[in-house]
Amino acid sequence: MATTAAPLPMGEPLGPNVASADVHFPAIKTYEQVDHEIINTMRPTLGWFILLALAILAMLAGAATWTYQIYEGLGAAGYQPPVMWGVYIVSFVFWVGIGHAGTLISAILYLFRAGFRTSIYRVSEAMTVFAVMTAGLFPILHLGRPWKFFYLIPYPHWRLIWPNPKSPLVWDVFAILTYLTVSATFLYVGLLPDFAIMRDREKNPIRKRLFATLSLGWRNSDREWRHFARAYLFLAAFATPLVLSVHSVVSFDFAMANMPGWHETIFPPYFVAGAIYSGLGMVFTLVIPMRKFFKLEHYITLNDLDAAAKMCLFVSMVVGLAYLTEFQMGWLAGSSFEQEYWWNRTFGQWWWAEWIILSCNCLLPMSLFSRKLRRNPGWLFALSIFINIGMWFERFTIIIPTLSHEFEPWQWGTYMPTWVDMGILLGSFGFFFMWFLLFIKQLPVMAMSEFKELIPAKMKQRAAGGGAH
Amino acid sequence: MPGVIGAFHEMDSAYYALEELKKKRLGDLTVYTPTAHHEFDELLARPESHVRRWTLIGGAFGITFGYFIWVWITRYWPLVVGGKAIVTYVPFTIFAFEVMVLIGSLATVVGMFANSRLPRLTATVGYDPRFSGGHYGVWVETTPDKADEAMTVMRQHGAEEVRREG
Amino acid sequence: MSERPVNDSKKKSNVKRRDFLKILGVSGAAVSAAACSPEPAGKLIPYLVSPDETVPGVSTYYATTCRECPAACGIIAETRDGRTIKLEGNPAHPLNRGAICARGQSALQQLYNPDRLRTPLVKQAGTWKPIPWKDALAMVGEKLADARAKGTAGNAVFINQHESGSLVEFIDQWLAAFGMKPHLSVEFEADQATLEANRRAYGVAWPRLNFSAARLIVSFGADFLDGWGTSVPQQLDFADARTNFQTAPRFVYIGPRRSLTGLNADQWIACKPGSELAIAQALLGAMGHRTGTSIAQAATASGVSAEVLTTLANELKAAAPSMVLSGVRTGDALEVAATVAEINRAAGNVGKTILPDEPILAFEGISRYSELADAVEDMRGGRVPVAFVRGANPAYFLPASLKFDDAFAKVPFKVAFATQPDETVEQCDLVLPDLHALENWGDAQPVKGTLSLQQPAMDKVFSETRSAGDVMIALAKADPSAARRFPQADYRTWVMEQFAGGPRAFAAGLATGIASGNMSVRRTPGARGTGTAPALEQASGDYYLVTYPHTLFGDGRGANKPWLQELPDPVSKIVWSSWVELHPETATKLGIERGDILEVKTAAGTIKAPAYLYLGIRPDTIAVALGQGHRSRAKLAPWNPANNNNAQNFLQWGYGRYARDVGVNAFDLISATTDAAGGFVWTGTKASITKTGDHETIPSTEGSARQHGRGIAQAATIADLLGGKVKDEQEPLLPGEAPHEYLRGMRAPVAADAQGEIGAPTAADSGTLLGLYDPRNPLGMAKRRWAMTIDLAKCTGCSACVTACYAENNLPTVGAAWQNATVYAVHKTGYNIVRGREMNWLRLERYFEGADDAKFGEEFEGRFVPMLCQQCGNAPCEPVCPVFATYHSPDGLNVQVYNRCVGTRYCSNNCPYKVRYFNWFGYGESDRPQYAFPEPLNWQLNPDVTVRGKGVMEKCTFCVHRIREAEDRATLEGRELIPDEFTSACAAACPSRAIVFGDAMDPKWAVNQHIEDERAYTVFKEINAFPAVVYLKRINHPSPLTASKA
Repeated sequence: MATTAAPLPMGEPLGPNVASADVHFPAIKTYEQVDHEIINTMRPTLGWFILLALAILAMLAGAATWTYQIYEGLGAAGYQPPVMWGVYIVSFVFWVGIGHAGTLISAILYLFRAGFRTSIYRVSEAMTVFAVMTAGLFPILHLGRPWKFFYLIPYPHWRLIWPNPKSPLVWDVFAILTYLTVSATFLYVGLLPDFAIMRDREKNPIRKRLFATLSLGWRNSDREWRHFARAYLFLAAFATPLVLSVHSVVSFDFAMANMPGWHETIFPPYFVAGAIYSGLGMVFTLVIPMRKFFKLEHYITLNDLDAAAKMCLFVSMVVGLAYLTEFQMGWLAGSSFEQEYWWNRTFGQWWWAEWIILSCNCLLPMSLFSRKLRRNPGWLFALSIFINIGMWFERFTIIIPTLSHEFEPWQWGTYMPTWVDMGILLGSFGFFFMWFLLFIKQLPVMAMSEFKELIPAKMKQRAAGGGAH
Repeated sequence: MPGVIGAFHEMDSAYYALEELKKKRLGDLTVYTPTAHHEFDELLARPESHVRRWTLIGGAFGITFGYFIWVWITRYWPLVVGGKAIVTYVPFTIFAFEVMVLIGSLATVVGMFANSRLPRLTATVGYDPRFSGGHYGVWVETTPDKADEAMTVMRQHGAEEVRREG
Repeated sequence: MSERPVNDSKKKSNVKRRDFLKILGVSGAAVSAAACSPEPAGKLIPYLVSPDETVPGVSTYYATTCRECPAACGIIAETRDGRTIKLEGNPAHPLNRGAICARGQSALQQLYNPDRLRTPLVKQAGTWKPIPWKDALAMVGEKLADARAKGTAGNAVFINQHESGSLVEFIDQWLAAFGMKPHLSVEFEADQATLEANRRAYGVAWPRLNFSAARLIVSFGADFLDGWGTSVPQQLDFADARTNFQTAPRFVYIGPRRSLTGLNADQWIACKPGSELAIAQALLGAMGHRTGTSIAQAATASGVSAEVLTTLANELKAAAPSMVLSGVRTGDALEVAATVAEINRAAGNVGKTILPDEPILAFEGISRYSELADAVEDMRGGRVPVAFVRGANPAYFLPASLKFDDAFAKVPFKVAFATQPDETVEQCDLVLPDLHALENWGDAQPVKGTLSLQQPAMDKVFSETRSAGDVMIALAKADPSAARRFPQADYRTWVMEQFAGGPRAFAAGLATGIASGNMSVRRTPGARGTGTAPALEQASGDYYLVTYPHTLFGDGRGANKPWLQELPDPVSKIVWSSWVELHPETATKLGIERGDILEVKTAAGTIKAPAYLYLGIRPDTIAVALGQGHRSRAKLAPWNPANNNNAQNFLQWGYGRYARDVGVNAFDLISATTDAAGGFVWTGTKASITKTGDHETIPSTEGSARQHGRGIAQAATIADLLGGKVKDEQEPLLPGEAPHEYLRGMRAPVAADAQGEIGAPTAADSGTLLGLYDPRNPLGMAKRRWAMTIDLAKCTGCSACVTACYAENNLPTVGAAWQNATVYAVHKTGYNIVRGREMNWLRLERYFEGADDAKFGEEFEGRFVPMLCQQCGNAPCEPVCPVFATYHSPDGLNVQVYNRCVGTRYCSNNCPYKVRYFNWFGYGESDRPQYAFPEPLNWQLNPDVTVRGKGVMEKCTFCVHRIREAEDRATLEGRELIPDEFTSACAAACPSRAIVFGDAMDPKWAVNQHIEDERAYTVFKEINAFPAVVYLKRINHPSPLTASKA
């Protein structure tokens, strides 16, 4: 949020205030048009109601499954010792990962002054918040005694036994909660001026009152804009290291253990890259249909998609490099534990999972070298689905093969989820999409006030060279 | 406090109107823009925002607290795990960092609210819904005697509407 | 009975309140957790007013005699508040000297078996009706009377499970009083051929085997470590002999299948079934006797290379003294046994390694199988008016081809003295609920000159049960003619009166459970002379069929005990199931994989069971274990815990809920033939196998049978040992130069630093008192480091320690078919174990070394490693626990606090030894199908250890409750701990004394010598967890042949 443009030097004729030279929106003429078109997307439609109903159904199914699991005991899920972590932790890492693209786009790209972020960052920020909310469920529902989850939170307790600060799981609690709070705050602060717009455009008195309250009486005065810009900058500056730290901490859950395939120094950067990657994948999955159904092609232009696709391609190569490095570390580790583990993971017991991730995350994205495919929303959407699958299986191959093939050969095993695992996984998707669908019809999916920066302000006398083409 | 408010539809006209009003020193000026335009800050020569101080203090408190609380906790009831030392600063750094970010960013937001006088509970004079849409607003807080002059200035620069308020 | 004055402490205990709280925190186990368990505690003390000799919460110990097998070991029953909770060996007993096997310990689960008979039952019109005792007795009396009236009483049959002691005499007297012939004392596992050969050669049925004197042990299929003879004392002696390295005997095992005993041998000579005689004769010939069988002939007959046999013969000649044993169960078993006896005499072993002068009398008076078969024929002929069965289960263990059921049905009146229903009881007309040995009086004569006493360890579990002896006396009293023969009030009086020295001596002996003296033993009548078994070669079929008594179930008894069902077979590591053993080569030839359901067909019958590929069997042979496959005659729906036992239907459960429909009964395959000694022929036929196309995952605790060179079970050769070349120079598998040295007393260096930090007087923790981790703390916990050593040269893999752990720590058994999740319930026995969810805190791993490409003929060895929580100094599991549910106690324990655990299972993930176990279901909640302790099994639960709730992690605690009990006792008695005054449950049970537990910081404890041993090593040293469990390398004696080849 807030302007990404350097202020005009005085004396020069005023030009259009655009974030970066290659981003422009010929189809968008006036500020009013922005408000009008974005607000129009918020009118509920039948299709939306159907989707919402489906999402809620899925969530309820998951909730029922969880209830059953709590009653029956974790044995209802597919755990097969020594595989003590399964689908739940896989999905936890998966959702946390998705939760990274939002902050990346809104914070990091903001600091890098990447203009194409403006049209998609609101969606991705919302996605971040909801994904982290979803992820937060899994550590609780994978517990043997979920009703005792609060033991992990440092609260004053009559015995004054606190959590164990040496355990990565407690680091997780802090990282995830901090991340959730900060990204939610970030989202809300960004929404303030838009709430003001809604307030001023809204006819329905109740909604008007609601938006008035949410906007906290924002007036678009220069004073507000000034502090707002600063605050936003600092928030971005905080969020950037935070987003890097969160998935590093998640990776510590594994890197701090001494198991072959887990005990690796490469994990933090590797996990962060993977997180950003899966996040981008999910952004495509969400934005491309939205762009179509909300008729926002002239807002989220092919240029934006193209730029995002380039970033996606780059990250996929980073991830691929991480994979290769891991292989090489296992190979050259000089430890038979590591070597046997890697062999078993790549060519043995778990070859199928390993090759799913290699093809989905490394081979298919290479198609993005072609400009035509980068500018083909259909392909980008299909690819994003593959990336989501691939990234889920990446976490699967990180967790399961290690646990099933550790130091002690006598305890080598295998793993097969049951319908309980799958039901809860489905429920998590329902939970996520329920929030997301509610969001896209209740709040503007695009930062209107910020978007206005990207289109030329109305001028009495045209400035030479400036303005929309 | 009475004053004059003008609504402009073009940015440059609002800009030049503001410029002249400033020269004439007719009173405190506030400008409403649909989106952030730092040209007006330059023009009105506003001071640097104070939010950064809030951020600094919040972050500093966070990092201190993050370390302190865990040192206290672990020493209160020392339990040996994995042969590790009781007070282990390396993992505590993670907490310190997270708490710093948490408190720091919250402090930033609070600072922003405090500085820009949010939340604003009362409906105040000198605002028009158009300003959140496509219009630029200029609010001159001035005495009735100077008001007419301000209004003429705005009209000259092509204000769509000019009116007295308060 | 040994009682300590625990509750009157002269000295004031100086335990401060804060310390006490911390002890709670540290011990973490029973007390605090029990208070917080979700289950209501219920009635804690069975007594309202407790008898004088019991102090609530303090155990009373009763010395008595084990009746699980004829050996009659001495046991000590730990009784708490009137309930027997644990059985351990009686150190004073000459036979087992404090050790006890898995079967012996499981007697408790017979005592408390939920399927026990609670009241007399009579069969009326095919259904069972409860009947009052007096009516039942009247009914029997009347039947006996008119049998005598008809004059057919002489044909009545009384089948009794063999046990040595005066009961044999008692029953015969009672039978005589009613004009009936002496009873059949049945022990189906007994090796009749060897017994007969011993009688002929030495005049005693079973001479003591003195392993420690032998320099070479050659066993022809004699599984003296798992079931052949008196396993426990043999195991004790064998382990001692093998670890006395200067004179340790080499051990060669000859047989078509490599049993548990075979896996403990240095060399396995895989001969064709039935060719043992040729080999034995060849060996005898090589010793200068004329036997008409040359080494060459033996080689061709047995399929063993002449080179191997020659080497063996030379060894045999060189070794003096040696020990040659025969346990073959083929048609010519008696001839083999006789030849072996010849070899022993020729080698001059008699009197040195074979000691007829110190006979083991437990096997005297066992009836031959042929006598039993004759009795069955009498029944078939309708000549038997009345039949009594006590304990034995012929309907199960007699081969189907004998058609026992039809014959038995012809008996008009059949009475069973039984503690619980089984296949035979089902077919009786009247069932008289008997007392379990632990509720009953008696005596036994295990060895010459010593009598072992049996006394009740607790009151009856079910008030309506009566000892068979009492019932018989009551019957006699009701009968005018028999009454005068039995003036005694009850069986107890009878036992005491006829006891050598009378009641006074008996009472005096009860304290130790033994008394010196002898009692007359009933002689087994002479053998009929010729066997009925056809020669093995004539049998039709592609593969020799070797059937053998299951190591844990023997002839089938004990299959109803969940502990034994859950205890992996020491060789195959399979639980809750039957299996067909065949060699990998055979399997590849037939395209069979592990778990494929095979149909095994012989002339006598057919079974279907999954295939288990085993290196230790000849490719031309398959093997099936006996003991499983108990069925109820009535076709019943699978057992469902919902309808708990009621007197109406509970007689139709075959052999009880835990045994029913588990595996198959291999007795169906065997045709009923006898050897010349009148013994049953186990290996008498061939079988053909066909794939059925079905497949199942065999419930087994085995992951990989190979160590992948990870040095878990390490071994060295005797040459290296004596050459002093066994010091542990194992290359770390992980690179890096981390320090591997322990501090004094097995302390981990880093942990010591940490403890120093808070042990300081200035520590935050030290206000009025010093930190618990400070050695100067009055509790002195930090002065100790509990440690354990396990000598793999002694360990035979018998798994008694595992059962001891189950008994001591209330471990749930999870393999029953109904213990899976209810919704996706796969009603498959052992399914939880297929999913690796067994709860064995102490597991016995069995690794194979050698024969890597599974070719027959390549030498391989089996290595056994008891693997339990290593109580690491730098435990990887501790720092990852988010809630301090597991942490390091000042005395070096890796503590698990159940009620703090939230169940993240991270600790298990990070445990390199994988010794943490998770409660996937509510095994301890009585209202769940997964409930592991249905009434009255829960009476056995150890009150010192909590039953863990659903969703928490658990693991071996080094029997922390025993440690704390001993420490508290010492505190109360105002003294220091006496070195080795107590030990862990596994160490207490171990029949080869391989496990030693103690305080590594105090050199006076025995464990320290073993830690210093040159064979000592720790597993996964390179991970630097500094475990407190030290293993001592196994020592192999390679054959001179391989030595020369190498």
